[in-house]
Amino acid sequence: MAQEFKLRLITQRASGGDPIVRERHVAEPQATIGRAPDNDVVLADLSIDPHHARMRFAGPGRVAIESLEGQTFEVGGRRVSRAEVDLASAPVAIFGTYALALEADEDGDAVVTVTQDDHERHLTPSEFSLKAKMFGRRTMAWTFGLTILVLCLLVPLVGAEIFAHMRIHPDQQWSAGPLSKAHGFLETDCKACHTNAFVSVRDAACKACHQASPDAALVARAQDNSRRRGSPFQPVLVVDHGRPDLLLQGTPSPPDLGGRIALGFAKAFNHPTGRCASCHIEHAPPHGSGPAADKPLRVAAQTCQGCHTGLKDRLDHAGHQIDFGDAPSWAKHPAFRVQLVEETAPGRFTAIRTAFRPTLREVSGLNFSHQQHLDPLGGVTRQALGLARYRKPLDCQACHQPVAGGGYRPVDMPKDCGDCHSLAYARVGGEVKVLPHGSESLALAAFERLSGGGGGNAVWGGSDRQRPGTIAPTAGSAPSASAMAAYRAAISRGGVCFGCHELGVPATGQPDVHRVKLNNSYMPKGDFNHAIPAHNEFNAQHAPAAKCEDCHAAKTSTQASDVLMPAKATCEKCHAAQPQVAKELAGGTTCETCHSFHAPGRASRSPLMERPLEALRWSEAAGKPAV
Amino acid sequence: MTQVGGHTERVRQRTHEGFLRYKGFRWAQFATALCVLAIGAYFVTATRLGRPPSGNSWLGYTLGTVSAGLIVWLACLGVRKRWITDHHYSLKAWVSAHVYLGLSLVVLATLHTGFQFGWNIHTLAYVLMMLVIASGAVGIWAYATLPSQLSHNRGETTRKQMLESLEKLDQQIHDVAQPLDRHGAAIGRLSLELTEIGGGFWTRLTNRHGDCANRRALEQLRALPSSASARQAEALTKIEELMQQKAEVLALARRQMQITAMLEAWLFVHIPATFALLAALTAHIISVFAYW
Repeated sequence: MAQEFKLRLITQRASGGDPIVRERHVAEPQATIGRAPDNDVVLADLSIDPHHARMRFAGPGRVAIESLEGQTFEVGGRRVSRAEVDLASAPVAIFGTYALALEADEDGDAVVTVTQDDHERHLTPSEFSLKAKMFGRRTMAWTFGLTILVLCLLVPLVGAEIFAHMRIHPDQQWSAGPLSKAHGFLETDCKACHTNAFVSVRDAACKACHQASPDAALVARAQDNSRRRGSPFQPVLVVDHGRPDLLLQGTPSPPDLGGRIALGFAKAFNHPTGRCASCHIEHAPPHGSGPAADKPLRVAAQTCQGCHTGLKDRLDHAGHQIDFGDAPSWAKHPAFRVQLVEETAPGRFTAIRTAFRPTLREVSGLNFSHQQHLDPLGGVTRQALGLARYRKPLDCQACHQPVAGGGYRPVDMPKDCGDCHSLAYARVGGEVKVLPHGSESLALAAFERLSGGGGGNAVWGGSDRQRPGTIAPTAGSAPSASAMAAYRAAISRGGVCFGCHELGVPATGQPDVHRVKLNNSYMPKGDFNHAIPAHNEFNAQHAPAAKCEDCHAAKTSTQASDVLMPAKATCEKCHAAQPQVAKELAGGTTCETCHSFHAPGRASRSPLMERPLEALRWSEAAGKPAV
Repeated sequence: MTQVGGHTERVRQRTHEGFLRYKGFRWAQFATALCVLAIGAYFVTATRLGRPPSGNSWLGYTLGTVSAGLIVWLACLGVRKRWITDHHYSLKAWVSAHVYLGLSLVVLATLHTGFQFGWNIHTLAYVLMMLVIASGAVGIWAYATLPSQLSHNRGETTRKQMLESLEKLDQQIHDVAQPLDRHGAAIGRLSLELTEIGGGFWTRLTNRHGDCANRRALEQLRALPSSASARQAEALTKIEELMQQKAEVLALARRQMQITAMLEAWLFVHIPATFALLAALTAHIISVFAYW
């Protein structure tokens, strides 16, 4: 019996359910496969040629499949154009979407089961929605959110320590703005100032480099700290405005709603006011796109008047008994107080502060008449006219000479008075001996040297308005006198010391001059800028300028004990109590004109504070401040 | 005439009140008042601060707190919209408030910055917030204008019908193409197997389907030399007709997809940017308080 192909065509119903099975016999030992309707196996698939292949028996149980037009088909996972298959192994040939499964039946015929693998995708209206084609919104949301959380929060929080040595600073992204140039070296050293997380910058961090102190070791330490951190500039050293506890208790509550809200926030978040950082703002934005500022932005957290109104009450209330007056305004500024030197016991001097009045007296231990020295018709003037150094009547600057940076140098007695008041007391041979000034023991030693050795031919003399090098014949004792006798003679009437120095109370039976204690600062709590033209007739380029006598009644003062300080009313002649007038007369005069914040005793013209940043650069050679 | 006109007007009166005009623009008014208050407070206090205005001032803290609270609340719309309720605070009320309070953040958060910007996490948070708001604004525009276009475009045809007619046309092309030779069949397959209705994000948004397989198939079909067999020629003519019809349905469906994409695209920025914003906001707040 000839072998034949038995075809089973299985078609799936579109509505589901049992498939339709059609069976047909091909009464020939070969069968054609293709899309055209004249084939034995018709496969309605456009990827199949009209006459694609032919199956034929190639021996018992074997079937050969051959391509007719060169198009391939798939057998056993490989694309071939000819294949001979063993029916016993149940081979499957794939043509497009159709699978032809071959097997042998008991008659030795080949049963070919044709099925279609229908993978046709049916579109649904959800195809119109964008989400069908995109990376899911939810995935994107979580990806972006977590990425930012990790990169911008966790890495800086955890990684600051880990990456520090790698010169990567993941917490830089937290910086709100650039540091000023003065602090630029700390840009990557956040912990220099932000010492503890969640704690605002405290004063200790600032003071580590900026604390001024009378103690040189502490100053050196502050400067060392600054240099160790890498500062190219020497730190500006400052002191607190006052004791921190007093500042805290003396600062009033903000009067306005905004201030109270701010204070509420500050308290709630442990962000105290009155810190260095309350006024000196870092990470402030540069103006426009300009470069960073030289120094931290300085803002006023409080006004002077704001704190100094009712300040005494607040401090009293807090249990501090402090002797000072409130200054709610210039009009209500307390009367000026002067600090005088008082000898409480022989040789013991203390400073006392008291309200200024013209009748005040201060015992300095000297005799001096300003009136006598400034009298245009007096003997001093006549003598000055004859001296090459002056050639004019004495004026204030003859003795009180200004120094750079403001103020006056203390009167140098031997130098400033020496043109007229000679300290020569003896002539030995051709040499004039000048008494050392400023120390009683040195003077006594000088007398002893002269009387003890080689003083035999000394010509003793004294000063009674003698020129340098001249000795008054009446003013000394005999050459053979003892040193003590000579000293006694010097301090007695007609002696070299007499006239300026008073004879003191002999404490130990020995003669004594009154101890001298000169006061160099009558108003240490405030300052007056003598240098500006309007304040100084000597600097004035144009009128009006204050004359010295406008404030200091020197021309009428006959006693060294006169206190030649002005009262507040003197200032008010120009700086009137009415703010408007004050403005017209005296520019932008403020509290700080006389009292700088960090050094209330000084005017706000501290040269160090105002010095340009570059001037603060360490001097390279010495490795020390270039000051 | 007047009466007729009046009658027409009444008929046209909207019975539907959208989220934008909810309760006579109640939330728009509230948001405007909030902005005016913030701007007023800013200009009154900024001059008295004694320092450049920043988030570090009392007004800065206040605006920052309000803004952060608003951002969190606005983000909660994603949760709220999943609860189906008809309570007092309907979803429409929420969306209305979401839109207007969200827009007010442009003013509140900008004032909070004190106009200080830099390359840092703080400005990143601000930029992300503006991105969220800008994408939201696009969303408002989309919701206000596109649904009518969508409806106008499809006419009486539903989306399902569009897809069904495409499938039917494909089936017909498939059937008609059976007598074709290998080359003709390949052209049929090109249209059947490679035609993509939608495509990627930009293809959908721009509605540019320059390499549409159905169009290429049509071009190739027209370029075929006239067929020897009458049966083939008839099939080819029929297929060309079918492909032409398919092109028309495709154009309609694709325009529908473009409008849908425009309606939905903003959310692909709005939602991920919101999450990014919440993360950046957290980093902003923590860093400010860690290093303040």
